[in-house]
Amino acid sequence: MKYLLSSAIILLCLALAKLVIHFIGGSFPAPLLAMVFLLILLLSGALKEHHVKPCASPILNIMPIFFIPAGVGFIEHIGLIKSNWPFLASVVLLVPATTLLLVSAVMAYFKGKENND
Amino acid sequence: MTELTPDLWWLSIPFIVVLFLVLRAFNKKVQNGVLKSLTNPVFLSIAIIALLLVNLNLPYSQFASHSQLLSWLLEPAIVALALPLYQQFVHVRKNLLLIVSTCSLGIVNATVVAFVLSILFDAPTHLSASVAALSVTTPISLIVTDSLGGISSLAAVLVIFIGLLGGLFGFMLFKLATIYNHEAQGVAMGTACHAIGTAAALAEHPKTGAFSSVAMALSALLTAIIVPLLYPFLVNTLL
Repeated sequence: MKYLLSSAIILLCLALAKLVIHFIGGSFPAPLLAMVFLLILLLSGALKEHHVKPCASPILNIMPIFFIPAGVGFIEHIGLIKSNWPFLASVVLLVPATTLLLVSAVMAYFKGKENND
Repeated sequence: MTELTPDLWWLSIPFIVVLFLVLRAFNKKVQNGVLKSLTNPVFLSIAIIALLLVNLNLPYSQFASHSQLLSWLLEPAIVALALPLYQQFVHVRKNLLLIVSTCSLGIVNATVVAFVLSILFDAPTHLSASVAALSVTTPISLIVTDSLGGISSLAAVLVIFIGLLGGLFGFMLFKLATIYNHEAQGVAMGTACHAIGTAAALAEHPKTGAFSSVAMALSALLTAIIVPLLYPFLVNTLL
């Protein structure tokens, strides 16, 4: 019963988000809106952790399996990757490097560079 | 294209599941930090399946249609991400404003840097959209990239590469910048390098790992809000 309730909550949030996106229009991804709905329900106390956990925990545990087929799809674009590899290599190097340095520097400005504990 | 006997395509899903679970079990046994990053089970699963399809000359479209069920399950799984987000939310309430601000700054930086690079390299529009949401966990990147008109499968692979590089070299960068604060390192790792960076952060120090997982969860939500607004703004302003 708890699995049914938990999966029904997740699917209802998803269905509601799809309805909202359908009527409002735009390209905002419905699953992300559904995630926000569920988060609001949890933060407001309307739902408790144990209502969602029975289905959410196992599905999160195996979640990486769900995006493997999509990830393999890059083989359809090997030509594009080959012809743009300097751009893609720069992105893969510079995006994390600048983000790591910027975020850690801002945090360190407020919290200090060393540990206080 | 070689046609695989039709009755063998049903093996697609069991093959993905078994391959991933075996690789994950192997990865859990690896102790060495560098080797742990390099044996990332998602990365290896994608690489092995891609090599098989290319070398056996099997059409990706057939593989994709026979593993469609897994792709459908991605949607409810993204909704379920609200649970870890809620769990982390409760633990960081007193630092919430600072962490939300720095995560947002990191996401804006990642999108702007990728966009500027796409202008410098004169990259085609769909490639530029494919690199707009890379500093986030793969499922969110897939879905945001899709909504921007990018190639989501390419984004997925790049996200994993970014995580691997961050896991391997992130702490060297912090050392160069003389930043040793666990909270600063953790939030940076979680924002820039998602789950793979968080695994490296956990190996470094429990507090670094905790802040990294908070930042990773928040980044998932913030990317979903910021990037679909920021990317069209950049396109309209700078192109």
